[in-house]
Amino acid sequence: MSSLISLQNIKRHYEVGDEIVRALDGVDLTINHNEYISIMGPSGSGKSTLMNMIGCLDTPSSGKYEFEGELVHDMDDNQLASIRNRKIGFVFQTFNLLPKATALHNVEVPLIYSNIPKNQRIDKASKSLTEVGLHDRMYHRPNELSGGQRQRVAIARALVNDPSIILADEPTGNLDSKSGAEIMNILDSLYSRGNTIILVTHEEYIANHAHRIINIFDGKIKDDKIVKKK
Amino acid sequence: MFFESLRISLSSIYMNKLRSSLTALGIIIGVLSVTVMGTLISGLDRSFENSMSWLGKDILYISRWEWFSDMEWWEVRNRPRMKLSYEEKIREMSDYALAVSPVIQREASLSFSDKNTQTVIFGTNVEYMETVKEDIQFGRFFTQGEERSAARVTIIGSGIKDAFFEYQDPIGKYIKIDGIKFRVIGVLEKQGKFLGLFSVDYQAILPLGAYTRLFSKRGFMRLSVKVNEKKIDDAKSELQSVMRRIRGLKPGEKDDFAINQTKAFETQYNTLKFAIGGTGLFITILSLIVGGIGIMNIMFVSVKERTREIGVRKAIGATPNMILVQFLFEAIIICVIGGLIGLALAFGASFFINKIFPSTLPLWLSIVSIIMSILVGVISGIVPSYQAARLDPIEALRYE
Repeated sequence: MSSLISLQNIKRHYEVGDEIVRALDGVDLTINHNEYISIMGPSGSGKSTLMNMIGCLDTPSSGKYEFEGELVHDMDDNQLASIRNRKIGFVFQTFNLLPKATALHNVEVPLIYSNIPKNQRIDKASKSLTEVGLHDRMYHRPNELSGGQRQRVAIARALVNDPSIILADEPTGNLDSKSGAEIMNILDSLYSRGNTIILVTHEEYIANHAHRIINIFDGKIKDDKIVKKK
Repeated sequence: MFFESLRISLSSIYMNKLRSSLTALGIIIGVLSVTVMGTLISGLDRSFENSMSWLGKDILYISRWEWFSDMEWWEVRNRPRMKLSYEEKIREMSDYALAVSPVIQREASLSFSDKNTQTVIFGTNVEYMETVKEDIQFGRFFTQGEERSAARVTIIGSGIKDAFFEYQDPIGKYIKIDGIKFRVIGVLEKQGKFLGLFSVDYQAILPLGAYTRLFSKRGFMRLSVKVNEKKIDDAKSELQSVMRRIRGLKPGEKDDFAINQTKAFETQYNTLKFAIGGTGLFITILSLIVGGIGIMNIMFVSVKERTREIGVRKAIGATPNMILVQFLFEAIIICVIGGLIGLALAFGASFFINKIFPSTLPLWLSIVSIIMSILVGVISGIVPSYQAARLDPIEALRYE
C-alpha cells in the first residue's frame, strides 16, 4: 500500500531573538490511506507546528515532505494554496466560519477557489451539508446556529472538495460534551466510510477515538502506536 | 473567480454601509467638483461663442471707454465725447473701413395701445446692419432716404414685438417712443441673452436723423467700423492714427478715445475660464487625495479586522492573488460607487446651471471622472491589498 503522506527528517526552526527554537527537530512519519490518527502532546511540544506542516500551511526548514507523490517541501505559496484546496479539509477549534455568510455559502467557498461553476457548487455544498445533518439549516448564518451546528458546517466545508485528509485541530475544544460527542460521531463515521482523519488534541478521551496515537515531545515523536485494529 | 471576488467585495461593502459611504465622500466631492466645473465651463464656452458671434469678430468699436481697462473713471470721464461728424472723416481717411456706423443710444419708454415698456433706443445709419450679425426677421431696415429725411420709422427687437403685438402683424403699426409716434417697418431676429446676462431683444432702432432731431445729439455714442477680419490689427492701428488726427493729438500725448474689439472679451473670458478651471482642478485633486487617503486607511482597518477571515480563506485554498483581487475590488468598488454618486449629483446640478445659462454635462468628462475614480481605487487599495495577500495563514488564523 502506497503511503499517503511521508515526512522524512522534517525540521522546523524559528529564530526568536538570538535563540533558535527547534519546533520540529527531525520528524519521520508515514500516514496511509484511511487511517485515524491522533497527535498528542503538551503545549510547546511542536504539536501545532506538525499540524501546520501536515496541513501545508507551513514548509519545513529542512527535510522531505511528500503528499501523494507531490513534493510539498519545495512548493511556493500558490502551489501550497492549491494543494490545501484540493487535498486537505481543515476543522478548527474555533470553527472559523465567515460570520456574515450563510452555511451554504461557507461550504461553497473552497469550491470557489477551485473554479467550480456556480450550479455545481450549490449542488456539492448542499450534499455536503446534508451529510452532516444540516440540510434544514443551509440558509442560516453562523450566529443563528449552535456551536455543534457550526462545527458541523465546518466539517461540511472540509469535506466538500473530497479531500485526501481531514485535519481536525481540537475540534471539540469549544463545545459542550454532548455536542463534542456528536462531532466525534461524525468523524468516526467519516473514518468508517474510508476517509483519512488526523486529530490534534490533548484530551485523552478524544484521542482514544483514533486507531493510532502519536505523541510529540520537544519537537520529536516520542511514541507512535497502533491502539486499535480496524 | 472575477464575479466571486466582485460578490465578496460587494457584500463586504454592504456590511459596512456607513463606513463605506463616509469613505466614498471624498471621491463624491472630487467627481462632483470636476464635473460641475466642466459643465460650467462648457456652458460658458457655448454662450460666449454665441455672444461673440453676435458682436462680430470683424468689427472695431470706437468710443470713449475701454471695455476692460484699469484706468481711473475720472480719467475716462475727462475725454472728449464722440461726435457724429467723425463718421464722414473716418470714411475719408481710412482705407480699411468697409462700413462705418455711428450708434447713439439712450433709455426711452415705448408704448402701444395700453402696453408700455422701458427700453433702449438706438439711432444709427443705413450701414448699421453690416456691423451687426443679427438679421431682420419681418419687414425691412430703413433706407438712406428715410435716414436723411428723419422719417419716423423704427425696427424693433423680437422681445418688444412679442410684448406688444403677440400674434398680430406689427409691420405698419404705430408705436409711441417717448410719446412720439413711429411706424414699425421691421422686426429683428431673436438673439437670446448676451453672455447669459441681459437680453438684447428689447431694443428699437431709429434712423439717425429722426433720433438726433427728436431726442438728442448727445448721449452714449460709439462708432462701429467694419473691416476685413484678417487685417483687423492693421485696421486698428490705422484707425488709431485716423482718430488721433481727428482729435488733433500731438505725438507723445495719450489717446483720448478707445478702440475696442471682441478680442478684449476673449482675453477677459479666458482669464475667467482659467480661474474657474484652475479652482475646480485644485478642489478636485485635493478631494481625490483626501478621499484616496481615506480609502487607504479604511482598507488597512478592513484588512486588520478581517485578518482571521483572510487566514481561513487562505487555509481552504485562496492564493495570495485571489486575496489581493478581493481587497483591491473592494477599494475600487467604493471609489466607483462614490464616482457614480458624484456624477448623479453633478447631473442634477447641471439642470440648475442650465436654468441660468444653457449647458450640459459633457459625456467625455463623465467617462474621465469614472476612470479617475477607478484609478484612485487602485492607487489607494493596492498597498493594503498587498498586505492582505502576503499575510502568513498561520499567523492570521491565530489572530484575535
